Amino acid sequence: MAEEGEFTNINGQPISLDCQNHTPFCREFTVSSPKVSLRKVMVYTCSVWLVAYAVFFVTENTTVLSSAIIVTLAGMMLHIHFVKVDQETLLIIGSLGVQLSSLYASGRESTTFIEMNKIKDIVINEAIYMHSIIYYLCILIKDSSEPDGVASVVPLFQSSKPRLNCLVQVYKSCQEIIAQSR
Amino acid sequence: MVENSPSPLPERAIYGFVLFLGSQFGFLLYLVWAYIPESWLHSVGLTYWPQKYWALALPIYLLVALTVSLVVLFGVNMINTAPLFSVDNITDHFAKSQRLDTGEDGAIPRLRDVSITEVNHHFYLSQHELQDLRNRGPKISDLH
Repeated sequence: MAEEGEFTNINGQPISLDCQNHTPFCREFTVSSPKVSLRKVMVYTCSVWLVAYAVFFVTENTTVLSSAIIVTLAGMMLHIHFVKVDQETLLIIGSLGVQLSSLYASGRESTTFIEMNKIKDIVINEAIYMHSIIYYLCILIKDSSEPDGVASVVPLFQSSKPRLNCLVQVYKSCQEIIAQSR
Repeated sequence: MVENSPSPLPERAIYGFVLFLGSQFGFLLYLVWAYIPESWLHSVGLTYWPQKYWALALPIYLLVALTVSLVVLFGVNMINTAPLFSVDNITDHFAKSQRLDTGEDGAIPRLRDVSITEVNHHFYLSQHELQDLRNRGPKISDLH
């Protein structure tokens, strides 16, 4: 029931975080990325078609034009279906588990569920990503062979990549639920 | 045992001078080979030289290799960096096999790798919130 407002992601673009406390044991965090901007789409399409027209002008081959149109359309459809993420949601239910879901711009939703007895902890870790060091929230999965070991790491909010202030809020909220269910 | 130091020594002066003479001679030889026509060199008696094509090709190969290696170095670094979902960002086999030594009271604790859970509690939770979490405990059973 609480709208937490505007944060930014690691590249400086604005994102928004929405926290819902459904019950004392169930909380849902939704991070929304900025939508596909019309200006970027127009700029990209115009530049690709100008280049295609220039190539047509030089080579006098009409297939260049039609293939440029088809490539642009197909590229945009693949982008909004597989790449562009609108919202990422973390639903944590004490003693049951954690559900992660990503909503893509074309409406496709991909969901994963992790049981609570497999979760060791939810922590904020720092790691090297490309040319910088970023903070990211991740779920540590228990190792079945070692009692205190970490079998694998599931990073959260990978497409929206919020900054530390947003992550600390989600972290504190998750720790309350996890502490109850231990 | 002789200490290693960067100060000037007679041996180093000799090495430096030999290198200087060698590099000057090498450069002069390269210029002679590249500019003087083959006929003149043959008339003097020096016949066994590589093709003059290489006088241009070798410097170009060297510069292109330098530029490409710059890009490749960047790429190799990116390949060797652990991805975000790798356990290497959390712990490694040295931290797993470290001895947990509680030590004596009042003594400085042994240097060790602190687990990520503890680090997070120190950084992101205040003392008050930490106490709250510790006192909360399992409450799910209260519903029944």
